[in-house]
Amino acid sequence: MGNVLSILFCLSLFYVSITSRVKGYVTVLQIQGVLLSLIIVIPFIYPFSIYGIILPATLLLVKVFLIPRYINKIILDLDIRRVIDPTIQQFSFLLLVIATMVVIFVVSNILSQSTELNVIPFASGFSAIVIGIYIIMFRRKLIVHVAGFLILENGIFLFGTAVASELPMMIELGTLLDVFVVVFLMGIAINKISTTLDGFDVTALGRLKD
Amino acid sequence: MNNSLIPGNYLFISAFVIQFLAIVPLTILKNEKKAFVISNFILLIGLVLGLISTLSSKLFSFASFSSNDTLLFSNWIRLDGLGLYFLFIIQLVAIPTVIYNFSYLQHYIDQKRSIKSFVTFYIILLISTQFVVMANQAILFLVSWEVMSMSAYLGMLLEKEKEEVQKGSFYYFVASHLLVFILYIFFFLLHHQTNSWLLSDYHLTAATISLIPILFILSFVGFGIKAGFMPFHFWLPQAHPIAPTVLSAFLSGVIIKTGIYGILRTFQFLKPIPEWCGWLILVVSIFSAIFGVWYALAQHDIKRLLAYHSIENIGIIGIGIGIGFIGSANNLPVIEVLGFGGALLHTLNHAIFKSLLFLGSGVIYQNLGTRNIELMGGLVHRAKYLAILFLIGSIAISGIPPFNGFISEFIIYTGFFQTAKELKNYYPLLMLLFVVGLAFVGGLAVACFTKINSIMFLGTERKEVKHFHISVFDYISLGILALLCIVIGFYPQPFIGIVNKVISNGFVAANSPSALLNMNWLSITIIFSSILFGVIVLYFAKMQIHKRYGRRTSAAWSCGYENQSPRMQYTASSFADELNTIPKTILLYNKKVDSSKRVIPKPSSFESHSSDFVDNKIVLPGYSLLGKIISKIEFLSRTDIRYYIAFILVMIIIYSFIAFLWI
Repeated sequence: MGNVLSILFCLSLFYVSITSRVKGYVTVLQIQGVLLSLIIVIPFIYPFSIYGIILPATLLLVKVFLIPRYINKIILDLDIRRVIDPTIQQFSFLLLVIATMVVIFVVSNILSQSTELNVIPFASGFSAIVIGIYIIMFRRKLIVHVAGFLILENGIFLFGTAVASELPMMIELGTLLDVFVVVFLMGIAINKISTTLDGFDVTALGRLKD
Repeated sequence: MNNSLIPGNYLFISAFVIQFLAIVPLTILKNEKKAFVISNFILLIGLVLGLISTLSSKLFSFASFSSNDTLLFSNWIRLDGLGLYFLFIIQLVAIPTVIYNFSYLQHYIDQKRSIKSFVTFYIILLISTQFVVMANQAILFLVSWEVMSMSAYLGMLLEKEKEEVQKGSFYYFVASHLLVFILYIFFFLLHHQTNSWLLSDYHLTAATISLIPILFILSFVGFGIKAGFMPFHFWLPQAHPIAPTVLSAFLSGVIIKTGIYGILRTFQFLKPIPEWCGWLILVVSIFSAIFGVWYALAQHDIKRLLAYHSIENIGIIGIGIGIGFIGSANNLPVIEVLGFGGALLHTLNHAIFKSLLFLGSGVIYQNLGTRNIELMGGLVHRAKYLAILFLIGSIAISGIPPFNGFISEFIIYTGFFQTAKELKNYYPLLMLLFVVGLAFVGGLAVACFTKINSIMFLGTERKEVKHFHISVFDYISLGILALLCIVIGFYPQPFIGIVNKVISNGFVAANSPSALLNMNWLSITIIFSSILFGVIVLYFAKMQIHKRYGRRTSAAWSCGYENQSPRMQYTASSFADELNTIPKTILLYNKKVDSSKRVIPKPSSFESHSSDFVDNKIVLPGYSLLGKIISKIEFLSRTDIRYYIAFILVMIIIYSFIAFLWI
């Protein structure tokens, strides 16, 4: 079951690399949040434990409702144009993503022969990390950077579940808090920058260099 | 757990707790002065308690040592001979400086300057320095070391708006970090070899003997930067003058000694030590001693001059350590005892008289507002007792009997002769060279202190001094230090006993014959007392002559002139000019004489200046070269965050690739 959900997660990554609308990113974030919650809730369903539910529920709340709503609010408040500003063609970006994923899956498969890990969640998580970095590298809009960063965090999360079957609770909560703070700060930063610089391109941030 | 120190244990811990508590009033009380006085008082009590507990420990209570005296139920803190001895030095010097604080920081309070943070850093500095010498765990040692360095740095920034303060403290900051980096490598290598973090476990086995040269060089460079041996001394004359006097006294008296502590501690790890290590230390030390004092002679800034004298004295201590290393390499405990004994005793002595001189110069600085010797003069008429106290420190530092500097240098000289006697072959000739070198250092030191004492205290005033104020706290703190100089000079037996005990605990086998105790110390006491008696007799004879025949008085340095003005006096630069011209390439000593020989002469002038060779020819060019190399890779510096993300990705890929190959 975890493998199926991980593959769905990978598909969402393909979608995010081809869409050209900011709204698409937000939708993907929501989908990924749901998938991640499902992945970590599965082991706790059959021998039902209330403690096992707490973390997925928090994850669902934060990743599916709070953060996307907050990003939507920023988009509305600041009246950002609804298309992303890619620096390379969408098609070449997709090719890059596919190539990266192939390499990662092959490498993970080789790795799995010597160490014990779930190949598919591991590779999906790793892909999400790299693709999150790609999104930050090849998009010009600051709000898309936030989304890329969140995808990267999702990747780390999935990666963690693949490596250790049961992460310590505190670490997971720490991850959540981390994400929340980052989004919060970036939201504030964008608000501030939009009032002073009158633009949302990272290129404009270059002028802030010391 | 060996709790053989139980009676002293509680005292020890409570002493540190009280020292920590001294920070509390600074955070609670609003009133600057009240907070400072209370906290300083608590600190003083803590230090006195600490000194009492150190004195009541095994080192001083004439009992034999057991090697693992631990504290606080763990072996992270160990009180062995060497640690206790340095703890003793730290607390002994800290007490007078803390007393001095009462009057010194009062000036800053009068200037409406906030001193709370300075006092806080000062307290942290004192405590962390004590922890450095007690730590028996490498990480604890490094952390205390770092806290010590950084609190001293932050304390230096008391007058941070001055440009010279920013420059000097930056030198200190860079040097401290450089040496900590070296120490990290040193301790990780040791850990790698012995699989332990405890300093007491670091004994190299035969299998790891090939590492000794590397470990020795790392330790000598790392701790040598802190101690201020000659090629690594560049930070010392920059940082000491700009620090507040209480801090520079502590820095010069104690903190650079932690470098000596480190080198001695390393010696205990690295047995058997090869003989070339001893020679290396000996040569570096003799250079530090000679050029340290020569640079000092060329300075006009009193604190800078004293800082160079610290380098000289570190050199003398290093000479003792070098002899000890040679003795150890040749398996001759007699030489070892004399070498290390001289070094350890000189460490204590230098801590005492250097603090005395620094605190004395601080009093003058507070009253005159300048550190330039050329602007001082005639101070003996303003402050007679200060002049006497300063003179005691000067005689002691020059190694003239009957004060303490002579005793330790005497032991080192004996070490030279003993080495020449025990190891025949070519040793006598080499030792003769070093003896001449050390004697030469003594001669230059006398010249230098003649210069500052005569220029500062004698003659007439070069600068108008409205009122010269010395508080009772100044006299107490200077008096304690001067008294110690006298006591160790006239009656060195107890201190020799302590040093001997330290050496037999961890340096040489405990039952080896002690050359230190066998020296005829009683005759030294008798000779010194008779010198003192002779001086007193002569003084009374002089008084009698004055009474009978009257006394003719005239202005000082007047040399037969009638109406002498302060400008006509002998100056410090003209006094030292002859000596400074000899090594002028190394001293970078240049003079600017501007005299016109026309019919109607214009005003003529004379200027002399010396700057540090290592600083100007090696450190600064090296620094700018580094800057040039780094600017070559500046093309990587982009304005856009996306490039940095790409760099991160590239690095991740490289690391993953390496990890992949590894598996």
